[in-house]
Amino acid sequence: MAGGPPNTPILQLAVGRSTHDGFSSISAETFAEVQQGEAVLEAGALQNAIFNSANFSSIATDARGVIQIFNVGAERMLGYSAADVVNKITPADISDPLEVITRAKTLSLELATAITPGFEALVFKASRGIEDIYELTYIRKDGSRFPAIVSVTALRDAQNAIIGYLLIGTDNTARQAVEEERTKLDQRLRDQQFYTRSLIESNIDALMTTDPQGIITDVNKQMEALTGSTRDELIGAPFKDCFTDPERAERGLRMMLSGSKVSDYELTVRARDGKETVVSYNATTFHDRARRLLGVFAAARDITERRKAEETIRHLNADLELRVNERTAQLKAANQELEAFSYSVSHDLRTPLRAIDGFSQVVLSKFGEQLPEDGRRYLQTIRNGAQKMGELIDDLLTFARLSRQELNKRPVNTGILVDSALQELGFPWQDRKVELRIGALVTSSGDSILLKQVWLNLLSNALKYTRNREHAVLEIGCTTTKGVDTFFVRDNGTGFDMRYADKLFGVFQRYHRAEDYEGTGVGLAIVQRIVHRHGGRVWAEAAVDVGATFYFTLEKDTTI
Amino acid sequence: MNEPNYIEILLVEDNPQDLELTMLALREANPLSHIHVARDGAEALDFIFCEGQSAGRLITEMPKVIFLDLKLPKIDGLEVLKRIKGDVRTSSIPIVVLTSSREQRDVVESYALGVNSYIVKPVNFERFNVAVRNVGYYWQFLNQPPKIAD
Repeated sequence: MAGGPPNTPILQLAVGRSTHDGFSSISAETFAEVQQGEAVLEAGALQNAIFNSANFSSIATDARGVIQIFNVGAERMLGYSAADVVNKITPADISDPLEVITRAKTLSLELATAITPGFEALVFKASRGIEDIYELTYIRKDGSRFPAIVSVTALRDAQNAIIGYLLIGTDNTARQAVEEERTKLDQRLRDQQFYTRSLIESNIDALMTTDPQGIITDVNKQMEALTGSTRDELIGAPFKDCFTDPERAERGLRMMLSGSKVSDYELTVRARDGKETVVSYNATTFHDRARRLLGVFAAARDITERRKAEETIRHLNADLELRVNERTAQLKAANQELEAFSYSVSHDLRTPLRAIDGFSQVVLSKFGEQLPEDGRRYLQTIRNGAQKMGELIDDLLTFARLSRQELNKRPVNTGILVDSALQELGFPWQDRKVELRIGALVTSSGDSILLKQVWLNLLSNALKYTRNREHAVLEIGCTTTKGVDTFFVRDNGTGFDMRYADKLFGVFQRYHRAEDYEGTGVGLAIVQRIVHRHGGRVWAEAAVDVGATFYFTLEKDTTI
Repeated sequence: MNEPNYIEILLVEDNPQDLELTMLALREANPLSHIHVARDGAEALDFIFCEGQSAGRLITEMPKVIFLDLKLPKIDGLEVLKRIKGDVRTSSIPIVVLTSSREQRDVVESYALGVNSYIVKPVNFERFNVAVRNVGYYWQFLNQPPKIAD
């Protein structure tokens, strides 16, 4: 079938002047006439080209629609040979009948004329001289379908009467596929945009982009909420207008454009209704593929809450400081009162005691001879009482002073401290036999005056409670466990019952009877207080009639 | 008190019992001492600087020692100490603080002001007696004061 024009008569139809409706009646004469003209030659070449094109289905019908020409393209596309269809069917027979019906209905409505669903529906517009190109599904001989774009032209004779129709169709499958693909791509693009958008919108920060001049190019909903302006109002406006301090905003933008990073840049947004929000900006520039600067991407986080929290903390701190100051002042006042009290006790309480003791003594020395034995003894008892009270007052004052006295911490040579305490206690003792065993004593850190008091009290206790021993042994030493130095004073004296060990360190707590061992009951309380003030611990181990050991630790001072 | 032409000891004490006990101790040390008693700080300063009741006295006739209590009416002992030690005419007079106060700040302050001795009055009369006697004896008889140039 390939090659020349498949059907000569159609050429007549196309250009001939036949007055007949059907080409069957076209005369040879007319044909010859046509062939003689130059236009005819040209037309012939054109027609050849058209009819031989395998890519266009060219179907020509008579006025009633019966197919007269069915070209190579049509054969290829539709699977029919020309012989199958020519003079047998109309193009409506190879079109999707439902589409034909639909088209008839649509056209009927559009043109307000009843149009029969059939060939008429395919060519009605063309028959009225209206250019008509439409999509239509053609059905192949094997029943398969394909979309086609059909262009319909009415063929007219010299009197302009319609003698047939030319339907030129192209297979639209590829284009439709492309279109479908494009639709898919469009959809994907829309999805992508939606995704991007939703990312921007779902961000908790108020986001915006500006161009390099600081003109807003995009914002998210949070930015709208923050500024109280709509997206349309914001886009195209200078970004700095959103803030209470536009100069500062502008500086931020310039910093960024000059390459500096802008982070946690605080600005106050003023909304349309005047509401101000403190925000912290983090911004970065963004570029296209060619690294051309496109603009700035800025994210603002509302830090009003944070600011409030900070403000609250500041208030709380200030409040706390105030209260601490008040409390400190109160403590200072209390301390001063206590000091005044101690001072008064120290002064005023001792004066009458001195009078009691002094005048008792004066009576004894001046008039002792005239007094009976009992009288002298009573006066002596009065004196003892006064003196004992004097000691109590002194010890109490010492004890009270320990709490408020500032610690003067220094490295302390324990050996020297112990030696000087022993000297103060009258070493070497002439009137009794005391064996001293002094071990290695590490240097400690603390207030040497107070630590000496600790040694004095512990050593004088040891001496006191060994005084009935023929051979008194005092052991002074130091052990170190897990980095903690423990000092101890051990004696072979009367010791005590461990059941009462917890009472030892209380003020005025005494284990022994006053007539057996003198004392005020403050010595160990003083020891405990000094040790505690040095961050240490004090304890004792003892057995009745065997002896006692007193231990104490001091806090290691790493600063020395 | 007897007032000879020349006073050896100025005793500044407001408490009558302490005064009497101190006098007993001083007399025991030297029954013939010329002692002048001032009962408050103002009286003590008047005596030393020859003002008020002591206007007729000569400032160059300095006592050999002043026993000074710290807690005194009108002008307290530290102030008295400060004025006497702060004046070139009187600064060489030995001053012994004789007080009930063991407070460190009193001790420190007294020495800062130039006190010559600081004695805490013990409750025990014997010890009190010994302290007063010894100190009185030392400043009266052993200490060599500078010669006064007018």
